[in-house]
Amino acid sequence: MDTGNSEELRRPPLKTWSAFGNLGRRPSEYEIVTHQMNHTLRDKPLEIGPDRHGNRWLVRHRDAAKFAVKDWDGFRDPDQLTYRKYVTSQDNSETYLDAVLQEFDQLGRAETAPDFLQACLTPSRYLAHGLQMMSAYLQQLAPSAYVGNCAAFQTADHLRRVQRVAYRTKQLDRTYPGRSFGTTERRAWEQAPAWQGLRKGIERLLVAFDWDDAFVGLNLVVKPLADELTLRQFAVAARHLNTELDALVADNLFLDAERSRRWSAALTRFAIAEDSVNLGRLHTLIAKWRPLADEIVETGSRLSEAFLPGLNSSDQIAAAAVGAWRSFLEEAGLQA
Amino acid sequence: MLLDRDDWYGVAHDLEWSLSYVEHEDAFPDAWTGSNGIPREAWRAWEEPFRVSYRDYVAVQREKEAGVAGVRDALKRSRVYQNLHPSFAAVSHLHMGATCMIEQMAVMMLGRFARFAPSPRWRNISVFGMLDEIRHAQLDLLFSHDLLKYDSRFDWCQKAFHSNEWAIIAIRSFCDDWMLDTNCIDAALAVNLTFEHGFTNMQFVALAADAMEAGDVGFSNLLSSIQTDEARHAQQGFPTLEVLMKHDPERAQRVLDVSFWRSFRLFQAMTGPAMDYYTPLDRRTMSFKEFMLEWVVDQHERTLRDYGLKRPWYWDTFLQSLEHGHHALHLGMWFWRPTLFWKPSAGVSKVERRWLNDKYPSWEDSWGVLWDEIIQNVNHGRMAQTLPETLPALCNLTQLPIGTHLDRHHLECVTREHHGRMYYFDSEVSKWCFEQEPERYAGHLNVVDRFVAGLIQPADLSGVLQWMGLTPDVMGDDAVDYSWARDYLPDAQSAG
Repeated sequence: MDTGNSEELRRPPLKTWSAFGNLGRRPSEYEIVTHQMNHTLRDKPLEIGPDRHGNRWLVRHRDAAKFAVKDWDGFRDPDQLTYRKYVTSQDNSETYLDAVLQEFDQLGRAETAPDFLQACLTPSRYLAHGLQMMSAYLQQLAPSAYVGNCAAFQTADHLRRVQRVAYRTKQLDRTYPGRSFGTTERRAWEQAPAWQGLRKGIERLLVAFDWDDAFVGLNLVVKPLADELTLRQFAVAARHLNTELDALVADNLFLDAERSRRWSAALTRFAIAEDSVNLGRLHTLIAKWRPLADEIVETGSRLSEAFLPGLNSSDQIAAAAVGAWRSFLEEAGLQA
Repeated sequence: MLLDRDDWYGVAHDLEWSLSYVEHEDAFPDAWTGSNGIPREAWRAWEEPFRVSYRDYVAVQREKEAGVAGVRDALKRSRVYQNLHPSFAAVSHLHMGATCMIEQMAVMMLGRFARFAPSPRWRNISVFGMLDEIRHAQLDLLFSHDLLKYDSRFDWCQKAFHSNEWAIIAIRSFCDDWMLDTNCIDAALAVNLTFEHGFTNMQFVALAADAMEAGDVGFSNLLSSIQTDEARHAQQGFPTLEVLMKHDPERAQRVLDVSFWRSFRLFQAMTGPAMDYYTPLDRRTMSFKEFMLEWVVDQHERTLRDYGLKRPWYWDTFLQSLEHGHHALHLGMWFWRPTLFWKPSAGVSKVERRWLNDKYPSWEDSWGVLWDEIIQNVNHGRMAQTLPETLPALCNLTQLPIGTHLDRHHLECVTREHHGRMYYFDSEVSKWCFEQEPERYAGHLNVVDRFVAGLIQPADLSGVLQWMGLTPDVMGDDAVDYSWARDYLPDAQSAG
């Protein structure tokens, strides 16, 4: 047979992946390592029988989504994160937090607000773990590696938060051995009224299997509200209560939350620009999560209330959290 | 006071709570957790095989990345690739094409663990695995992209898994099945414990050693750097096996036996030829069989023994196959070379043949006679007879050619009917794997099934090659333009 190998030398060398087609420019390093790196975007996603669980799951929960564009590989993360950029920037953040902890240790600052921290900070490791699980779900259902990698880095951000909270929990346990820091949080997370909106939000997300529903529920509703209440508003309260260390840690963790918002807003703007029908689809999904959002704000705004008599009322906290959430949604081209 | 990792680590993994707004079974469905029949409390015994903090992870990995970036820059300036022996260059094409997307698939599998694994410790440790695997995919892509200007075969690092190339379909059929369709528990046993801990360990360490010898310092460095991560996260399978052994040892035995055979067959096809035929003779450190015995067989037997499991029932067949199977696959792949995206090295000059006979005493009897025929044809200019006109029969389990698991005297096909359809297998072992869970495999069509069903048009070899995405610039041909065959011309002086 003629295999045509004689043509081998006639082709000019490739400058980049043929998958880029006629890009008209040199792709960035970020694009080189991300483009078309999800091989399951085909009629039968997996190379197994069409009726197998994994194929049915992806077809039903990912490919049948109404929130859709022609090609999700057109999406770009505004941060253009690659693995190398991620570990470099996060190492900088972690180095900063180590320095903060060291400084407070050297200054010999006494803990100032154990009640507040036991109620508002240490139970948040459960919240962060819930957000971590859901971010990992977004990664595996994402319709492009441009989306999936953002979700993977977001997953790791939450493990970071879990570990930083655990660190503080253990420090507080050493300082106050009688208070059982480290063991009281589960009860608070499961039963304290102020945590119940957030817990309900996480648990509802754990059964939201359609990728667009999970994306909207997590990245546009539950997570931004959770970050407002348990990082930003938490930091405000922590400063009032003179536990500046915890405020600084929360501020730094909030940088990760802002990265999540940047790519989430870029994703919705991209999808709306690609197909304006997506605007309505997104609003329908947000409307579905809206009652839960109200519940999260209603309960979560009371987390620190008792510790700030005459300072920050739950109404003020709620108004600040909702205001910030609305601004984020506006950034995303949406309305709450 | 400042704390050490071990002071707070336990708190960071104490994350289980009782769901009350939704049912636990709905949030953690058995189909993904794989926990059916195993009580929820049993997973409290799942202990991390290693401890790592996020803080240390990003610091260490940042340094590793800087190290590899340095190697990459040096490689761009040097002429290492241009000076590489063409048959060893084929190893890098094959490796990059076959493994890069598996790394990215592993992100998805570990994402599944991070979401659905029945222990929070396991879910947490998987997050580092997700990051590791993104790293590996991105390093493969960067190194390959740098080399595109020398050889468009590196395009297949990014492209292979979007194609229908048959070897890639064989890999996808294993990886999509065990990594992306299987529940967390079975996947940890099949992928972390068997595929990664056993086989890829060999692929990365042994191939890195050969690459270093062959002068491909960049490739060697890349493989070694990746292996430092793999060795860490491949450990996740052990605590899972420990829990499963207490509750369902039969299932553990079955999953390990099926995945060991399937992994072995894949590595016979991909790593066997790379080690025993493509790596230049003076650069080979060990034979594929020797690597397998030292790196995979000993270790697998030790794991089985440590956990109270038996050797697979097919152990004798496996050992015989270790002697022969990759030679059969190599011969088939070389013959069907237009269906490859790399240029296979025949690797049977006289001196190479002496090495093969030395390492595999029955090689001459099984394979020498077939290569002699090819040599005759090459040396008489009858090239058409060294090339295929049709497709080989393929196994419905492994997707590999039938007649490639033993020597030349055992080429028979094994069959089994299931719900009115006849299935074909490369061995009794593959048939046994099918029989463990027929519905797992029954709905799939291999390349030949698709050809017969008229799904590939035009229905001839050129149509198949087009369907596989093989363009002339990458289509396989002999790596060294048949120069090895001149060794056998009557007046030739042996190249050795």
